[in-house]
Amino acid sequence: MIKVSHLRKEFELSRQQKKELQTTADKALAVDDLSFECQPGKVFSLLGPNGAGKTTTLRMLSTILTPTSGEIEIAGIDAIKYPQEARAKIGFLTGSTGLYARLTPLEIIDYFAALYQVPFKEKEERKKYLFDLLNMNDFLQKRIGKLSTGMKQKVSICRTMIHNPEVVIFDEPTSGLDVITAENIIQLIRDCRDQGKTVIFSSHIMSEVDLLCDELAIVHKGKLKYRGQMSDFRQNMEASNLTEEFIRIVQH
Amino acid sequence: MIFTIFKKELIDTLRDKRTMRTMLLIPLLVFPIMLTIFVNVSSSFEKKASEEKLKIGVWGDLGAKYWNQLNEMPNGLGKKELKSFEDSLALKKAIEEGEIELGLIVPKNEAELARTKQTIPLTWLFDASSVGRQERAESYMSYLTEKAETVRLKELGVDATKLHPLVPVYKNCASDKKMIGQLAGGILPYIFIAFGFIGCMYPAIDLFTGEKERGTIETLLTTPISRWQILVGKMLVIVSSGMLAATCALLGLFVSIEFLDIVHNEEILKIVHGILTPMFIISLFSLLLPLVVFFTGVMIPIAVYAKSFKEAQSIITPLNFVMVLPAMIGFFPGIELNAMTAAIPVVNIVLATKELISGTLSFGYYAISLGIMLLLATLAIVVSYKQFGKEARILN
Repeated sequence: MIKVSHLRKEFELSRQQKKELQTTADKALAVDDLSFECQPGKVFSLLGPNGAGKTTTLRMLSTILTPTSGEIEIAGIDAIKYPQEARAKIGFLTGSTGLYARLTPLEIIDYFAALYQVPFKEKEERKKYLFDLLNMNDFLQKRIGKLSTGMKQKVSICRTMIHNPEVVIFDEPTSGLDVITAENIIQLIRDCRDQGKTVIFSSHIMSEVDLLCDELAIVHKGKLKYRGQMSDFRQNMEASNLTEEFIRIVQH
Repeated sequence: MIFTIFKKELIDTLRDKRTMRTMLLIPLLVFPIMLTIFVNVSSSFEKKASEEKLKIGVWGDLGAKYWNQLNEMPNGLGKKELKSFEDSLALKKAIEEGEIELGLIVPKNEAELARTKQTIPLTWLFDASSVGRQERAESYMSYLTEKAETVRLKELGVDATKLHPLVPVYKNCASDKKMIGQLAGGILPYIFIAFGFIGCMYPAIDLFTGEKERGTIETLLTTPISRWQILVGKMLVIVSSGMLAATCALLGLFVSIEFLDIVHNEEILKIVHGILTPMFIISLFSLLLPLVVFFTGVMIPIAVYAKSFKEAQSIITPLNFVMVLPAMIGFFPGIELNAMTAAIPVVNIVLATKELISGTLSFGYYAISLGIMLLLATLAIVVSYKQFGKEARILN
């Protein structure tokens, strides 16, 4: 489960950033008083246009960034007080994540299993399960630099799931992927939900959200614009389709 | 956990061709190649110089006397060919045009000066822009002087030994080891600094800026390990690379001395072998280690700050000159390790290494040098940790 209350994140602006943004302010507000809950066995979607604060929010949930204020609870752990313990419960996957090009998939998976301190027997079982599931056995010994985008994405998925996390965070996971490769991710999100994991994923593609999510939050300029069940969203929408309804809410 | 990171980063680094080139290949080959070229070129020059037949022009009414003496001169002083000239202007012109290499002008009153037991000025003409001409003239002159002195002393009936009541005997009390240390010892710390720095450079950029650029740092930061563990794991790889590069360069130098036949003096070879004791190597590495940690600590904040490999490289490369410049101190004789120089970072390591080779390193100055470098290395680690902890720095 993920509990977020009154989350706020300010960034100090460098001289260069001030120049680029044409502002004299010393700080920029990326996330402003965000509160929501994600339940186990459900997919929670964070929807918003580019620059809405989705990535910043998910980076705070995964403890890469420290919030300016607010509270985060990950699987019952206070993520601000005990970030390392919280990280052990999280699997994090972003569309922009790179892999170590000079290592092989097997080496990467072993490396991350060691970082998550997965016991040997459990690691071997998880590896076998994931390699078979993702059909990875043919390229386990090849260097990442020589793999196709689809193969790399499979390695990223395997890396995210090797420690069987309770909470899975996806930050625009299908961004830049072709339909067939993106399908692997969509299937992974469904599997996570079916296994009773807490899933949160960010996207700016409404069709993807429609396909997967149970609960929805729309953010714009760091503020929460809408929060509710996906079924309620569909039922109560004022525009003719989901994308237009999303645009209407953001611009409102 | 630190070992897990260290192991992975080491494998990753060792598979990077660019790093391998700067860390192993170049340091290992630079001295054998450089010294082979140097020895071949210098021996070919020496051979050419010893075989070169110098054309000497002689002018003067009584030139014949010196002509004969020059002709009798042993070839050990250099091969020569004599040519007579009608006037001094033609002699000068011939040197300017490269027709002859040396010109000897014998004064017109030479016979009179000789008869009256006066000094006879012999003028040598040469082109100073050609290396070794003056030296050749000097060696011929001392031959002629010796001959003339013997004749004159005989005429005067004077015993040569009675003319020289004092004969200086200069004796060098410094051991050969000390001499080698002071005169050639500067090269070793220079190798340390130059290759230690280059060895650290690419891994530092690759493991921090590179990881940011490739987008792998974000994933690493989501794992349940602390940032200081990541930092230490990566730092150990960079330090190892620097040490390895410096070691390879030393190994290259040792192989060159041992197998390339560049040191012909048996005594020097014996001394070099005597210097290379396990204790010497341990002491040497104890000086190298804090220096490399210091380099690493300087590079990490830059690598963390830089947004791209290019940017990091453009900042660190000029820094190389700043670090290597104090290493030049080692090439100047006379600058010693004392309370003041032991407190100057980098310079202290250079001088301490030199004195270590000479066998004159005092424990007190060694401790000060080591202490200063350890202090700086610690400071550099703290700065690195602070930079690595900054959110704005580690995420592009």
